[in-house]
Amino acid sequence: MEKRTNSPYPRIDRPVLAVVGVLLVISTVLFARNDREHEWRWYQAEFKRLVAEKFGPDKAKTVPTGLQQIWIPSMAKADRCVTCHQALGWKGFETADEPFRTHPAEILKSHPPETFGCTSCHGGQGWAIDAGPAHGPIEHWNEPLLGKQLGSEYSLVDNKAALMQMNCNVCHRYERETKGADAINHAKKLVQEKGCRGCHVVNGRGGTIGPDLTYVGDKEAEQYEYGRLSGQKTSFAWHVAHFKDPRSLVTETVMPNFNFGTKDAQALAMLVLSWKKSPVPAAFIPGVPHSEPQTEQEKADEERMKTGPGGWFVKTGCFVCHSISALGVKSPAQIGPDLSTAVEDVQSRFGRTLDDFLREPTGTMSVVLSRQIILTPEEKAVAISKLREAYAEHEKQKATAAKADKQAAPVAARH
Amino acid sequence: MAEHKDRRDFMMKAGLGAGIAGLGLQAAASLRSLVPNVSYDAPTTVKIGMPTDFPDGLKFLPDQRLFVFREGKTFHAISAVCTHLGCTVRAEAMSQPETKEVDGVKMKLTHRFLCPCHGSRYEGDGKAVAGPAPRALAWYHLSISVDDGSLVVDLAQEVARDFRLTLA
Amino acid sequence: MAFPFLSFLKRSQGPEAPGVHPQPFWSFRPRSDRESGDAIVSNFALHMFPAKVSRASLAWKYSFWLGTGSAALFLLLILSGGPLLFLYVPSVERAYASIKDIEYVVTFGSWLRSVHRVGAHLMVVVVALHLVRVFLTGAYKNGVGQGQKREWNWVIGVFLLLFTLLLSFTGYLLPWDQLAFWAVTVGTNIAASIPFVGPQVRELLIGGRAIDQPTLIRFYVLHIVVLPIAVGALFAYHMWRVRKDGGLAAVDKEARENELQEAPASSTKTYTLLGIARGTSPVIKATSISRLDKMVNAVPDLVRRANLVTLATIALISILATFVRSPLEEPANPLVTPNPAKAPWYFLWLQEIVTDTTIKIGSFTVNGAFVGGVVLPGLLVTLLILWPWLDRSPKEAAGVWFARARRRQNLVFLLLCAFVLTLTFVGTVMRGPYWHIYWPWEAWPDIPGRL
Repeated sequence: MEKRTNSPYPRIDRPVLAVVGVLLVISTVLFARNDREHEWRWYQAEFKRLVAEKFGPDKAKTVPTGLQQIWIPSMAKADRCVTCHQALGWKGFETADEPFRTHPAEILKSHPPETFGCTSCHGGQGWAIDAGPAHGPIEHWNEPLLGKQLGSEYSLVDNKAALMQMNCNVCHRYERETKGADAINHAKKLVQEKGCRGCHVVNGRGGTIGPDLTYVGDKEAEQYEYGRLSGQKTSFAWHVAHFKDPRSLVTETVMPNFNFGTKDAQALAMLVLSWKKSPVPAAFIPGVPHSEPQTEQEKADEERMKTGPGGWFVKTGCFVCHSISALGVKSPAQIGPDLSTAVEDVQSRFGRTLDDFLREPTGTMSVVLSRQIILTPEEKAVAISKLREAYAEHEKQKATAAKADKQAAPVAARH
Repeated sequence: MAEHKDRRDFMMKAGLGAGIAGLGLQAAASLRSLVPNVSYDAPTTVKIGMPTDFPDGLKFLPDQRLFVFREGKTFHAISAVCTHLGCTVRAEAMSQPETKEVDGVKMKLTHRFLCPCHGSRYEGDGKAVAGPAPRALAWYHLSISVDDGSLVVDLAQEVARDFRLTLA
Repeated sequence: MAFPFLSFLKRSQGPEAPGVHPQPFWSFRPRSDRESGDAIVSNFALHMFPAKVSRASLAWKYSFWLGTGSAALFLLLILSGGPLLFLYVPSVERAYASIKDIEYVVTFGSWLRSVHRVGAHLMVVVVALHLVRVFLTGAYKNGVGQGQKREWNWVIGVFLLLFTLLLSFTGYLLPWDQLAFWAVTVGTNIAASIPFVGPQVRELLIGGRAIDQPTLIRFYVLHIVVLPIAVGALFAYHMWRVRKDGGLAAVDKEARENELQEAPASSTKTYTLLGIARGTSPVIKATSISRLDKMVNAVPDLVRRANLVTLATIALISILATFVRSPLEEPANPLVTPNPAKAPWYFLWLQEIVTDTTIKIGSFTVNGAFVGGVVLPGLLVTLLILWPWLDRSPKEAAGVWFARARRRQNLVFLLLCAFVLTLTFVGTVMRGPYWHIYWPWEAWPDIPGRL
């Protein structure tokens, strides 16, 4: 057999091969470790242990494992906070340390997490699953957790956790007062007292000497002038300093110095930063009427119908289908016949008297009177007497009209 | 000498083999990324509105693919998902309501259900009577929410056909 | 069987009948030249290799195996891109969220993304180094072989580099974060600075006048379909030409050194039947081929080293990817330009030039974007493409590191490289807010934040 030519490089290749082999093994180890090192695994095990301790192992089995999230499609929010903060809805961990503490139940009743998520109130990065990136502050995520820690950094007066109220006011901005948002309420009161609207438009109302503040919370941090601001360079710090002494930041401003204290200035800064174009569904925002208001004319007409001679029919709801034109009642739907002539009409349609028909109605009216408008025998008696009145009024009007016609006819003929 | 060389050869092969095996493992494990870890599905327990929003008879909820029936103060809910291949069945009012005993409870059947995909037909209690449907339509658990009194359907909890939610 | 490392499972029995493949698997440990040649013939994946290759061309320190490294990286990018294709959603509303998901909740997701990103950046580096190596060794020059067209392979190589840059750049936009959005804004506005047709070119590139969904889907399709296919096709052609040109240029050097010994006619090598018929196939005056001590079998020596390089590349990237997390900035916001806004690092030397080349002659202004972003790189690429024809050095300079005859051009080339590197370094490391120069030891001013 023909011999193979000798391989020329085995000596050099062998150490290379060894290094590559070692590298491959190292990469696999690193790869595996990389996935296991998340802290949420520990927190979940720990919470399970706490539940088992308190409520027994059976209860502990119901604690879910693995990544958890609350997905809010309407805001495109996926809040994974509940991966670690599993005690959220559990009773009995009210005094435990975070992340094992029960969420105050009261607020969750009106703000269920499955509708609002976590970050829409608390801030922070819902996508993240590690405490660092989730709570922030972290590069490339503009809203850190609005908690006590951040509040202390800003040395908030009074309530260190007040920053969260900014997020309350994203939805509650049109309310004069919001329960639990003391700082914001205080700021809103200041806005009224100090007459901010004299110079500034807020929510579409106010003067035009100063800039429109309706969406000032959307102004980007870098668009403020920080030249004269010492300390933290943030929108919040800028507003606090500006409220305390506007001229110290903007020399040419005409805004007067209101001598706000630190507490006032911080509350106002929170308020103005909360004035953002809200990325929340309209249904979340209280205080906005989602209706087409009635015109003055319509309101007056309805009032007249209610207080006029036909008011009884409006109150009972008969007017939804029936006009009673003789009594000045005009039905919005006009599905049924005009009841001005009911006395005569019922007789001709059903061959029964009005009294008889109302006592034992047939057809549509039997359904209506047994389900939607349920009248006692006394009320039916009232109805009958009212309808008689209407008929009398109708006859009277007809007679008057006929007379008027006769008088008007020759005039028309002359033309 | 030859033995020495053999051993070196073996070590080399073993080392590289382990490395390549590890690499293969990494490649296979990477496919684990395709198994979702979090759910973007709609929750299975849904508030579907106040009981007063439901008229007597039938109301179809397209979001939940659910028929909710009301008879005075009692409610029950039947899935609109065909048991054959998952199309949404349509309810058709019957000209003559029938009364039938279903699981020991008298029930007035006002509708029947027709599947547009393969022509399965169900009676008003969900029983499959024609077409390829293998099972009756599912019935789901209804309850009243403690916080605001609205109706709550649990789409993960099937119930027997004698289930009724009766308001106080 | 494309797994040489499995072949030891199957010991070859040796050929019983000549011309018939005696075994289903090829051997990585061939015991004869015939067996080793058989491995090539019977294996699809190895078909691009000749049965025997010159020993000199396998040397680590001649080529540094940069081309193989590029190919390995390309393979790795395709492999890591596969799962990402399933996980990424190319829509303006959901792209960013899908990357957040990959980063946080997909098992091995952030590792996969890092493999893809680190691999992409490294591929730019390795392909560029490959080009530098080819230039410095004069490997685009034809040597002693007949029918060599190395200069055309060089042109293909330049295009491969350009496509690599484009692949990387189109991938840049996909996360739809601030980094992506503004890098692409800057990049596409360079195209818009071309006189007369610029705005139209940009509109075609981004599918409108603003960067939005049409841009995203265009870049996405370019990134996952058009450019990979283009690179794959060019790569295939690139490899084919290497064989047609008789191997690496190092072969020619060897052949020349052995020129005194004339080759017997029978050992000239032709490659295709058509080539023989037309007489167009390159016929290497195989002086060196006749010298068996200068040749080695492609199986196992070439294959072993190619596999080694591939495995080493993969191992390196895999390890790097566990340490280097890929950044994801704020969601794209057309209302706010980040300060500073930078192009990808491999375009930063251009961004540097763009900064300094706006020319004003009286009332007449030439936009720096045009000079630095279109004219200058255009000139450089043209020069690169044309260089094999402008290089008048003798053919003895082919395949030689720092050949004497090419000393001046190598020097100019290296100076240009140093210039580009310096500008890249300045742009990457030293440019701070408002594009001011900051020394590495100087702190940047605080970037204001909301809270």
